[in-house]
Formats: sequence, structure tokens, C-alpha cells
Amino acid sequence: MSLQICLRCLSRPSAPSQIRLVPTTTNKQTAAFTTSTPHAAAGRIQVSQMKPKRTGNKPTATRPVRVKRLSPKNVPQRTGRPPAPGERKALRKRVVLSNTNALEVQGMPDLNPWQLFDKSMHGSVAGLPDDVVDPLRVVEAFKPTQGWSLFRRPATLVRSETVEMASWVQEVHNSQEGKTVRKVLFGERGSGKSVLLLQAMAMAFSKGWVVVNFPEAKDLTIGHTSYVPLYRNNQLYIQPHYTASLLAALPKANPILADLRPSREHNLPISVPPNISLARLCDLGKDPEIAWPIFQAVWSELTAPSQPDEGEGLVRPPVLMALDGLHHIMCESEYLDRDGKHLHAHNLALVQHFLSHLSGASPLANGGMIIAATSGSNKAASPALDFALRRNEALASSPGADIPAWDPYRKIDTRSLKAMDGVEVWRIEGLSKEEARGIMEYYAKSGMMRQTVSDTLVGERWTLSGGGIVGELERGSVRMRI
Amino acid sequence: MDSPLLRRCARAVTTTHKHIRRRAAPQQCRFYADQSDFRAAAPIRFDQPRAELLDNDERSRGRKNEKPEIDLYSLRIVPASPSYFTATPQYTDDLLHLSTLVRRHKLLPHLPQGEAPRIAWKTIDQYKTEKAEPVKMKGYNALLKLLKELNYIHPSLMPEEVKAALETFKRDVQPYLNVPKPITVDAYGVSIAVGRRKSSSAKVYLVEGTGEALINGRPLTDYFGRLHDRESAVWALKCTQRLDKYNVWALAKGGGTTGQAEAITLACAKALLAHEPDLKPALRRAGCVTRNPKRVERKKPGKLKARKMPAWVKR
Repeated sequence: MSLQICLRCLSRPSAPSQIRLVPTTTNKQTAAFTTSTPHAAAGRIQVSQMKPKRTGNKPTATRPVRVKRLSPKNVPQRTGRPPAPGERKALRKRVVLSNTNALEVQGMPDLNPWQLFDKSMHGSVAGLPDDVVDPLRVVEAFKPTQGWSLFRRPATLVRSETVEMASWVQEVHNSQEGKTVRKVLFGERGSGKSVLLLQAMAMAFSKGWVVVNFPEAKDLTIGHTSYVPLYRNNQLYIQPHYTASLLAALPKANPILADLRPSREHNLPISVPPNISLARLCDLGKDPEIAWPIFQAVWSELTAPSQPDEGEGLVRPPVLMALDGLHHIMCESEYLDRDGKHLHAHNLALVQHFLSHLSGASPLANGGMIIAATSGSNKAASPALDFALRRNEALASSPGADIPAWDPYRKIDTRSLKAMDGVEVWRIEGLSKEEARGIMEYYAKSGMMRQTVSDTLVGERWTLSGGGIVGELERGSVRMRI
Repeated sequence: MDSPLLRRCARAVTTTHKHIRRRAAPQQCRFYADQSDFRAAAPIRFDQPRAELLDNDERSRGRKNEKPEIDLYSLRIVPASPSYFTATPQYTDDLLHLSTLVRRHKLLPHLPQGEAPRIAWKTIDQYKTEKAEPVKMKGYNALLKLLKELNYIHPSLMPEEVKAALETFKRDVQPYLNVPKPITVDAYGVSIAVGRRKSSSAKVYLVEGTGEALINGRPLTDYFGRLHDRESAVWALKCTQRLDKYNVWALAKGGGTTGQAEAITLACAKALLAHEPDLKPALRRAGCVTRNPKRVERKKPGKLKARKMPAWVKR
């Protein structure tokens, strides 16, 4: 097995924990928290298979004859069991949240949304409690490309943006009339937009909100899931399988749904008992055929006004809806309509659902947050969204600012522009030097960075990461072992 | 037998013997010979016959007219310089002249070792072409040694004759006069420097600050995706641990990513030297000071690339 080299930065993983083994078998009964590879956990490795094979050409029950690869006529035969369908995808999307080789940071506080306003928390790293980590894992808030697998337990830096987000969460939680915060996060690649979404979701979970997450907007428009035109509607298309998976994850991530009952009757293709819990209703939506009507029913229930006095099960918490990779839904999708032309992403019902809430057309009766984040590394070409972000930022900065205008002789996606009208945008920039120091001290305490954290080192890493871009800071400090 | 001609010849012989002047014995070291003894001979008068052929009374008539009696019979054409008798007369003259100057001005104050102005002297081939003499390398090196010694005289006290002598040996185009403009820190605290690598060039504006860096208006991470390139762009600051002390504004063009990064390295180092000249040895050890002269080699005829040959065929 050869060592991998990152083609971009020419680094080699020097820590044994970074070397990935590619197993050839799968075991679906592995626990969510396990850090051992499915291959090892399956327990199907024979001792004889672990030894290097010297004599090769005898056929056995488990493997066919090995053919020499030297002669060009004989194609090399594949040996071993082929991977099961979905195994490679599971491996690719696998998120490891713990590294037992890293040191445990003593005295690390937990991310407590009620305590985030305390100045002492700002600039330090807070751990995510277990009751928040499990729902976050279910909604796929953790990404495999992030560095969770390098430390003992999942933890995030409390930066000024986190404090601001916590203040909004608090505002929404305390408001009576159902305040909705709608934001679009944008910034450089690695600046921490996805992790800010994760922090918002963590705060929402700990406050008992209902969280709906679209981890990759690309999955909505790339054309890999089924799509069906709505009955008697040429414009809107629903995505049954995606909706079904969304409904399957909803009650697992939000146990509060088990306590909620519907407040009104819904016209559903199947008959449901009147006192069914919303969690059970979501479970019924696992069938792609009826997923969309059930999703609509569940959503209308969640956005129905909260009636705490009527009876139990009619209290409605605020809702947080998050989406990552906004560019993908601001351009044409890969789906084709009946004429063979590409569907615009806004013709997809789920996308329309999200965007109507983002623009404020569909208000949330019980308040909540609608946040979308752009992705720097996974970007679709959407000049309309890029322009809209610049325009909205200029509009918000000062009234007399120079507002960019689009060249009228060039075509632009007017639907995307309209969808972004009046949406607040938030540029995520690099960390300050104090915040950079805080996270570098966490790396040092975890044992993943060996240098002493001095002002010179902090300044150096801050500059080399392009002004404190967190992703680059982590890559330079922890992943590149010089 | 006693013809007048024979008599005259005999007389001439005796008179020439009488008129021979014994020269003093030559000195030991020819480099320090004194040239005051040598004078050019009197011009030859062609209107009068040779002195030896004149009668005595004619000779006396010449004396009465107070004209010097020139004995044309015994007349010797003396060369202007004794170097005439060497294989390289002009070279010998030059050598002796310079030796004289050195000896004469030995006591003038000299510049310290290594601080003399750098002069491009004529090459031996240029000198030989000029003088049309077969001067040997060893001989020319001796000449150069004298020139260098004379060059060390303090310029404020250098005599005109020495200056004139040195000028004749200097090359027409002095490459050492082509000095780069010194990089200074201007009134705003900014120093500007240019660096080049392969086909890229970069201009860096360096000012004291907090450690921000912008390349072509874009942040460092946005412009250079590779950490290696980012580090090498600000290597001059990184190796001297001054990344948090200066702000960098760089304009790079041409070439590729790494070429631009290396060009910024050189420019940043030069700009930093304007702020802190004492860092030169440290930057030299870090490899930021020398301009890497490597360029892409051109393709040659008969080859597929610069060096790659087409497949060898036996026949």
C-alpha cells in the first residue's frame, strides 16, 4: 500500500491516523461512533488472508485462480468479493468524529447557547455535547472533508460570528410574535461557513427547535434522484426519493416530533389516525409514492401557530432550515423537462419550498431561522447569485455606497436575482488573531500541533492562512506535519 | 695608396672611436630604470653632406657659421626609446611608465583593501590588437598589477598623470558603472522592489503593518492554493520571523503559479532589505537574495524538445 500524496499541496500524511485503509468487505452493523474500519469490524478477515501470499496459483474455495499479469493477452482477474451496492458511497461519506490518539483537552467547556454571550467564551474552543452530536450526525451536518477525525471529541471555536448567531437564536427563542432570521453566508473557501451552519444547528437542537438540513444542495439538482412532475402542474417537479429520505431523517434527528400531534386535518393519499404523532407521520412518508404530500402536511403542521393552551402536542417550537451549497440551486439543474430542456432549479418543489422561506414569501408562524451557505470548493456557475451577493452587501453597507449594476447587454438569470431580493447576506471573513490563538492553543493541547503557541507563531500562521481563514489555518497547523 | 678616401676612412675610424661615449652600466632592476638619460637624437639634416666627408677647412667654416658640425659619416640614428630593441616596445614603455608612476606616488594615501573603484581593464586581446605587439599573458598580468596598485590611490589625491595613464587602459564601456538604483523607504514608509523568476515578474510594496498580504488585490489563500507557494511568496518575512510586522501588496504577472511565487520572494526580500539592511546574510542563507537565472531551454533542430532525441533507429 503506497502512501497518498495530496496533489495540491504535495503533503504526505506522516501520522498513522491519517493513512486510510481501503477495506473490501462491509458490515452494516457497525456502530455510529466506531472508529474501526468496517473491514476490521466485520471480523471476516481470515488469518491466512492477512499473511502475504507467496505461492499464488492454487485455486481455493474463496478465490479463483490467479493469472499472471505479465502477458498482455490475459486480462488480470479480479479477486475477492466485490463491494456491496452503496458500500463505496457509505465509505466516501463516512464521518469519523474521534481520534483516540489525540489528547483530551481538560476543562473544555461545552457549547452552551445560553452561555455564549459571556465574553470569556469568545475565542475559546467549546466541545459539542453528545446529545447534540447524534442529531447533527443524522442530519449530516458533519462533512467528511472537515477535520473532526483529528481530535478526541468534536469541538468548535467560538468566534465572533458564533456569538452573533447565538444572539439571533436567543432573540428568536424569546420572541412572542415568531421572528424569522433569514441569512445567506458567503465568503472564501475554508472560511468556516459550513461549521457556522453546524453551530447554528447545534444551538437549535439544544434549545429544542426542529431542524431541517439540506447538507448538499448539489444532491437536489444533480439529477441523481428521481423526479416527477406535480399533478396538473407543468412547472413544479417533486423529488419523491429525496423527500422520503428527508422525512426518514426528520424524526430521528428531532425526537420532539414524537410529542407533537397534528392540529388539523390533512388530505393525504393514505388514511392516518387522527392522534398520530408527527414522528409517526414522518415514518409513513418513507414511501416515495406518498412522500411529498406527507412532507407538505408535516411542514404545514410545523408552521401552524403554536397552541400551548389547547392540549398537549400542539406546542410548536421554532424551525431552523439550513442549506449548504447555494450556488447549485441558483442555476439550471441537470433534470430535463418533457421537451428535453434543462429544468431550472427553481422548478423543483423542494428548492421552491426553501427559497420561498428564504426570501420571506412564506413566513414561519413560530419563528425560526432560514440560513443558506455558499460553498467555495463546490461551486456551480451562477453569475446571478454572485452579483446578488455583491449587490445585497453593497445595499446593506451604507445607503450611498456604490451599488454594482449588471451589464444590461448580458443575459442574467432573473429568477435567481428575484429570489435573492431583500435577503440579508453575511460575509464570513478570517479569524482575528486572538481567535486564531485560541484555536491554535486547542490544537497544541490536543497534541496535534507540537510547536509552542507564541505571538510570532500565531502571526505567522495567521498571515499564511490568508488572514486567518480557519480551514487553511487548520491545514497549515495540523494536517501538514512539517 | 694614400688616396684621400682611404685617409678619410682611417680618420673616420679614429674619430668614431674618439667620439664614442661610454654609457653607464644598466641598473639591476629594469622596472625602476630612470629614463632621463635617454633623449632623442638631433634631427638629420639632409641638405648638408655627412660631416665625415667634409674637409677640415669646410668643417671649420661650419664652426665659424656657428652651425654644429654634424659628422654624417659617424652619425647614428638612436631610437627614441631603448624599448625599440625589445620585442614589444610599446608594452615595455607602458610598463616602465607605470612603474615610474607607482614608485613616484608610493607615499600617497591609498584606499583600504577591497574598496577601490571597480574598473574593467582592457583584456589582453584588446591590448594586443591596439598595440599590434605579441604581448604575453604573464607580461600583461604584471601590467594589470601595476594598474590595480595605481587604482588604489585615493581619488581625491590622484595626480593627473596617473589618471591619464589609467584612462588609456580602461575599457570603452565600463559595465561596473551600471549600478542598480538603491531601494529606499519613501516618506510613507513603503519600499518598492521588483523580482523575477522564469518568465514571471512581481512588484512588491512593503510597509510596516500587521501581517496582511494581498497579491493582485486578492488574499494570499485565494491567489495561491498551495501552501508551499504561499510560504515561498513571503519566505523572506517568514524566515526572519517578521510576518506579523509587515504588510505586503504585490503585483505579479507572467509565468505560472510557482514562478510568480518565487518572483514575489525575491521582490519581498529586496524590499525588506530596504527596511532592514542588516538582514542580508540571513536572507542570503535562506536563498532569497540571488535571482535564479534558470530559464526554459529552447527547442533545438533535430531534437524533439530541448534535449529529447527522436527514437533511435538502427538504420
